[in-house]
Parts: sequence; C-alpha cells; structure tokens
Amino acid sequence: MPAALEIAHLTKHYRMGTATVRALDGVSLTINRGEFVGLLGSSGSGKSTLLNLIAGLDHPTEGSLKVFDQDLASMSREQLSVHRRKNVGIIFQSFNLVSTMSAVENVALAMMFAGVPQAERLARASSLLDSVGLSGRGRHRPRELSGGEQQRVAIARALANQPDLLLADEPTGNLDSKTAREILALLTDLNKNQGKTVIMVTHDAGIAAKVVNRTVTMMDGTIISDAVA
Amino acid sequence: MSFLDTIRLALGNLGQAKLRTLLTVAGVSIGIAALSGLVSFGVGLEDQFVGSFKQSGMFDSITVTTAPIRRPGGFGARGRGANDRGGGRGGRSNADASQTPAAEPVPETPRVKLDDEAIAKMEALANVKSVQPNLRVPMQVTYKDFTEFTAAAGVAMSSAGEGAFQTMVHGTFFANEQDDACMLSLDMAKRLSTGDPKDLIGQSVTLTYATAPSKDAPAPVAIPGMPPSMQVQRVEKLCPIVGIVERESAPGMIGGGSVSPLMIPLAKARAIDAVQVTNAQSLLRAAEPKAYQSITVKVAGSQHTQDVEDKIKAMGYSAFSMNDLLQGAKRAFILLDIFLSLFGSIALTVSSLMIVNTMVMSILERTREIGIMKAIGGSDNDIRRIFLIEASTIGVLGGVAGVVLGWVVGRVINFGVNIYIVNQGGKAGNLFSLPLWLVGSAIGFSVLVSLVAGSYPARRAARLDPIQALRHD
Repeated sequence: MPAALEIAHLTKHYRMGTATVRALDGVSLTINRGEFVGLLGSSGSGKSTLLNLIAGLDHPTEGSLKVFDQDLASMSREQLSVHRRKNVGIIFQSFNLVSTMSAVENVALAMMFAGVPQAERLARASSLLDSVGLSGRGRHRPRELSGGEQQRVAIARALANQPDLLLADEPTGNLDSKTAREILALLTDLNKNQGKTVIMVTHDAGIAAKVVNRTVTMMDGTIISDAVA
Repeated sequence: MSFLDTIRLALGNLGQAKLRTLLTVAGVSIGIAALSGLVSFGVGLEDQFVGSFKQSGMFDSITVTTAPIRRPGGFGARGRGANDRGGGRGGRSNADASQTPAAEPVPETPRVKLDDEAIAKMEALANVKSVQPNLRVPMQVTYKDFTEFTAAAGVAMSSAGEGAFQTMVHGTFFANEQDDACMLSLDMAKRLSTGDPKDLIGQSVTLTYATAPSKDAPAPVAIPGMPPSMQVQRVEKLCPIVGIVERESAPGMIGGGSVSPLMIPLAKARAIDAVQVTNAQSLLRAAEPKAYQSITVKVAGSQHTQDVEDKIKAMGYSAFSMNDLLQGAKRAFILLDIFLSLFGSIALTVSSLMIVNTMVMSILERTREIGIMKAIGGSDNDIRRIFLIEASTIGVLGGVAGVVLGWVVGRVINFGVNIYIVNQGGKAGNLFSLPLWLVGSAIGFSVLVSLVAGSYPARRAARLDPIQALRHD
C-alpha cells in the first residue's frame, strides 16, 4: 500500500509578539492509504497545527510534508488551494457551513470552486446528502438543521470533490454522544467501504479507541506514541 | 471557478445585504448623476452653441474681403481673421482706404479687386458650391404711414432652406430672382404693422433709392447748381412681401444666411447696386468697374472650408470662416467639460469611499465565510474576483441609476429654465444633452471607479489567512 502521507522533520513556528511558539518541533510520520488514524493530544500539543498543515491551510516552517507524493512545503498559495480542492476534504468541529446557503448549496459550493457545472454539482450534492442520510433536507439552511445533521452536510461537502484523504478536526466535539457515534460510524463507513484515508484529531482517547486502527499521540509539538490498534 | 459562478456568488452575497447594497448603489448613483448631469450640461450648451452655428449655414461659408493685410505673415491666421472680419462688416471700403493712404500702413500685397472677375475665379476652385457678393443697398422703406431708412440685403436664391430660411415664420422664400419681392425680419414686420404679421404677406412696401440718371430719361428732379453728371434720380418701387423670417441671434453677420430687416433677391440687389448713388464719391467713380466690399463663398461641405479658405488667401484676398472661431470654441467647451467633470468627480470620490467602506464592512462580516471558501478549495483569485464583481455590480447599478437620476434632474432643471426663458421672450432650448457616448462612458466610469475602490478590499479578502479567518466569529 503506497503512502498517503510522508512527513519528515516537520516544524512550524509561530511568532506571538516577541516570543516564538514551536507548535510543531520536528515531526516525522508516515500514513498509508486506507488507514484511519486518530491524532490525540491535549490542547496545545500541536495536533491541530499538524492537521492544518496536511490540509494545506498553512505553510510549514521547515521539513518536508508530502501528500500523495506532492511536497506541500514548496507549494505556492495557488497550488495549495488546488491541493485543498482536489486531495483533501476537511471536517471541522464547528461544522463551518455557510449560513446563508442551503445544505445542497453548501455541498455544491465546494464543486463550484472545482469548476463543476451548476446542474451537475447540484445533482451530485443531492445524492451526496442522500448518502450521508440527509434525504429531503437539502433545501434547509444550516440553522434549521440539528448539530448532527449539520455535520453530515459538512461530511458530504468534504466528499464533494472525491478526495482520497479526509481530515477531521474534533468532528464530534460539538455533538451529544449518540449523534457523535452516528458521525463516527459514518466516517468508519467511508474508510472501510470507500477506501478513504481518514485522519481524525481528537482529545478523547475513548472515542478514538472505538473507531481508529492507529493512534498517534502528540505533546508539545512532538509525537510521543504511535500505536496500531 | 467559472466566471458565471463567480457572478452568481457575488450577486447572492449582494442579495444577502440588500439594504446596504441599495444604500451604496444610491451613493454611487448620486456621484454618477452629478458627473453625467454636469457633463451633459456642458454638452448641451455646446450643442446649443454649435447648433446655432450649423443652422446659420456658417460652417461651409467663407467671407472674402480685400481689407488690407497689415502684417503679412505676422501673428498667424487667427489675428488676421479678426481684422478681416472688421473689413467684412463694411467698416472700410476700398474707396475709403485708398483715399486716406497716410492713415494706413502701405499694404505689402498688391491690392486685388473683388469684382465679377474675382468671383469667376473663385467659382472655378474645387469644392466651391457658389460665390455670391454680400450686398446691402441702402434704401427707404415705406408702408402706409411707416417710413424707415434701412439697408436691403441681397439674398441669393441658393440660401433657400438654409440657415435662417430653414423655417419661415410666415410666407415663403423668393419664388425666383426676377420678380420684385421682399422678405422682412419679424422685428421689421412688427415695426411695420401693429396687426398680425401674417397679414403682411401679399401686401406691398414701397422701396425708394437714388440712382444716377439714365441717359435717355433725364432727371426729373434736377438739383440746381449741379453738373448733369452729378444729378441723381429718385426711384420708387412697389415690392410685395412674400415672407417673414425670425431674426437669428447667430453671432456675426457673415454669410449669405444672415437676416437683415429687409431682404430682396440678390440679383435685384446687384442691379440696384450697379446704378445706385449713395454718395458723391460713388458718383465720381462711376466710370470704374464695380467692386464689392465682401463676398461669400460657399463650399460643398464643411470639410473643404479650410482648404478653399487657404486657396483664396493665396489669391491675395483676406478670408475668414467660422471654422476659425469654431476651433477656439470647441477648445473652450472641452475645457468647460473637463472643469464640470472635475466638479462631478468630487461627488464620485465620496461614492467610491462608500464602496470601500461597504466592501470592508462586508469582508469583516464574512471573514469566516471567506475562510470556509478557502478551506474547501477557493483560491486567492477566486475570492478576489468575487469581491471585485460585487464592487463592479454596485458600479453598474449605480451607474445606470445615476445616469437616469442625472437625466431626470436635468429634465426638471431644463423644464424650469425654459419656462423662465420663454417668459423672458427667448426660445426654449435643450440645455442638457445626453448622447449615447455619455451614457456609456458614465456607466463605464462608474464600473471603473467601483473596481478601483473595490480592489483594496478584494485584495484584503484574498490575502486572508484561512486559519485565522475560520477562527473569526
């Protein structure tokens, strides 16, 4: 199985006033295609920073970061936007849906940036919403949907451009435990049945243990344990 | 992202903040209204001015005189033109000048005569339509109790339908140049009769002038003590009024189209002029061939005016056409337009600041949304285009609304001003002119200003850090 992700000596430093924060301090990690990896650690451990770098939302300070054999560290802003559009789907804790758009439009928006024609993207958005269990809810605005439903819309959006890598940042953090289980089941299904590589950031080891097949734990910007379940 | 989708997204965004969009569009439209309204005022004034020239048939007319050229090759044609014009107005005739040589600098160009031979030479020039002497023959006009001493202008038959004769107030132009007929100016008609000027058509006035006595008919009124050669003969002619013409306020009395209180066919005027005695000098000069003070050369089209004018000057005459004045007037109007646009631009500057403000506000409000769009694959350029299209949409809407607003305000002012002008006895005109090029450039300018105003906010939105933006509430 070829590697989905190859990270070597990755560092990310932030300037906070006069101080330099070492959010990532020499991380090396390889993740294969088809893995479901839980990225654990307390807040400030650097797990979200790592996820953002993999997502192409930020540039690393040093080191190499290869996603599907492409080095994000050397990419321009424009190239990174192409990476976000094609290679990854991002799922956030706070859903991050556009409040003025309906569920279908939110999903279709991702395809709009990829240049999919309107009729096709609306049809595909509808069927994606069906596949995440939101049949008939497509015309609703985010505020008319429950938290679990909103997160399903966000997952459908993450799948819109058929990326091979799903990045989830605390996807169940804002959900009750029952809904959280449904969302995790959905991610598991995508991993097992559609072969998506999933990297999920969470601070809850209990949640991770139920679904992931590999747990990477971070602390102070470094990886302190890497265990296959 | 396709251009159509970008527009779709931008329009959707504007629709989300209808009130704010509407207010900004209103602000832009006021700026554009001020700009297009002021420029349309400038253009309207120019149209009025140039239009009155055009109506006078002056673009294709050249006035030729023999007025002495005081400084040959001096300060250029414009300066000479002004002098020529003075001569053309009849202030100085050949005879006057030659009799007071001490008062005048000696002309360096040999004096050429404006006689029938000269007319024939000018008629032979390319693109010349007609050459007519400008004749004003002094005479007395009598109608019932009314008597006035005036000068009858000779009007060429070719002037029919041109200039002041385009619209006759009453009656018609001369039917032919053989019949005795005259036209009056409206002012003259009002002086002649207190009744409706229309009733004068068909009536006759008596024209009286003096000629040298013809050989076969000795002077009926011999002036005692005068030699026979200096006797004059009084001629009275009954002349039917065929038409009445509104007096044109056209500047200058040049060209065959200008209106005089009394007008007779040119052929008649020439015939009278040939035998008329106006003063002792003309009696003494009787043996000399007749020369004219000025003649009018009409060219086939105004584009030939300059060329023909230059050729006539090369023949040794002084020539002047309205083209000379018009060029100066056009420059003045361009300056006026620029000045008015600058005024309008002040309002537009305020509008453009409104756009900047609206866009910055909108970006602040939608920071998180911009972060989301970037996270799901929107590039910097996509984001920038969305905001630029929002700004230019405001520009298009503001431009269209502004042109309409400017037009409406212009109409209202025009209506009010015309009421005043008509009350003052003037003629209603169109002070505001809104040609298509002005509509187009006003809207285009509005879009351009909006794009410039929107470029900074759009750039700011495009450069937003997605992680920061996603954290934004």
